[in-house]
Amino acid sequence: MEILKDYRVHLLALLVVLLCEFIGSQTIWIITVYPMLYAMIIGGIISLPKLKILTEKNMHHASSIMLITLMLLIAKLGVGIGPKINEILHAKMALIFQEVGHFAGTILLGLPLAMMLGMGREAVGAAYSVAREPNIAIVADKYGLDSPEGRGVMSMYVCGTLYGAIWMSILASFIAKLDIIHPYALAMGAGVGSGSMMAASLAPISALYPAMAGDINAYATAANLISSILGIYIYIFFSLPFASFLYNFLARFKRKKIISAEVY
Amino acid sequence: MKHILETIFLLILVAIIMAAGNTVGYNINFLASLEAMGVLVIISIIGFLISKLPLFKKLPVILWVSVVAAFVSSPISPLNEEIVRITEQVTLLAVCTPVLAYAGLSIGKDLALFKRISWRIIPVSLAVFSGTFIFAALVAQMTLHWEGVI
Repeated sequence: MEILKDYRVHLLALLVVLLCEFIGSQTIWIITVYPMLYAMIIGGIISLPKLKILTEKNMHHASSIMLITLMLLIAKLGVGIGPKINEILHAKMALIFQEVGHFAGTILLGLPLAMMLGMGREAVGAAYSVAREPNIAIVADKYGLDSPEGRGVMSMYVCGTLYGAIWMSILASFIAKLDIIHPYALAMGAGVGSGSMMAASLAPISALYPAMAGDINAYATAANLISSILGIYIYIFFSLPFASFLYNFLARFKRKKIISAEVY
Repeated sequence: MKHILETIFLLILVAIIMAAGNTVGYNINFLASLEAMGVLVIISIIGFLISKLPLFKKLPVILWVSVVAAFVSSPISPLNEEIVRITEQVTLLAVCTPVLAYAGLSIGKDLALFKRISWRIIPVSLAVFSGTFIFAALVAQMTLHWEGVI
């Protein structure tokens, strides 16, 4: 019951939530920021080790509670699926195919950039997934966490924890305002398989299309559900081997270039 | 057993914080907010207990919660209309804020680790997060068109 008794963390969370909800959503240029983002930033400032407000233990408690709050978030999103079950079944092909985009997208955009910046095998661990808990377990199982791949996935995990949600919210807000992709498709894009990242990218999309908010939430949740059911298998049998293959393939070109530069 | 009880108490505590945020941010009656959160707490507890069963342990708790929530709100469930009506009293945004508040409060412990990582991971991570969102949205756009949904 140690976590439950950590009144310091709960009280701070309550104060942060009330303050942020009191401020409400604000729009800066074409990006709308939501109370959840200030909550994360203010919470992050409070947790700065230099301020000595929270101990390491308090922070570990906060992170355990976060996993519990996610259950309530998923329950809230889940009750949006039931009433829309017919629409979801109608879009089943899109829901299945967009997962290909989810799983290939991280590698296609992330891996070449990582290699261009000079990363080694770390790039494989960093770019094969969005690096949430199950992804760490998969890399740990195949390469071990002390390997370059393990360091890559761990670094990405830290980045995702620190600013994944903030970045997704800004990106989704920006792309939704461009108005070139249908909100349903954006909703499926938001279902990345991480509860907090999905929530952060979903908010600006449903705020922009309030009349379709119910459908948008249902599609995103359905996509997220498929990501989390199939995810673990796709990561093991497709993503990680494909990232590794693409690394070796690109590395050959890189080496050739270096060698030819030396020769000539 | 102790762990299960603690999780249930924490769910209730967080639900109260969410209800308070719902009242302050979106002017919804506090009792109505508590009622909505009560339903979500029950759904979460059922999903959580299922995830503790021997065979069901293999899949994450989040998955079971979401299956239970989808089931009780779908037309096959006798209570579906009640559940949808009650839970609509709490906004999605109000539920998200405490999630990220707790995430923020735990950031400090990861900062030391972050400082040791090369700067290169920052652009790479932004590309990875953007890639999964953009590629999936593009594929969905094409297939939704093809299915005639949009």
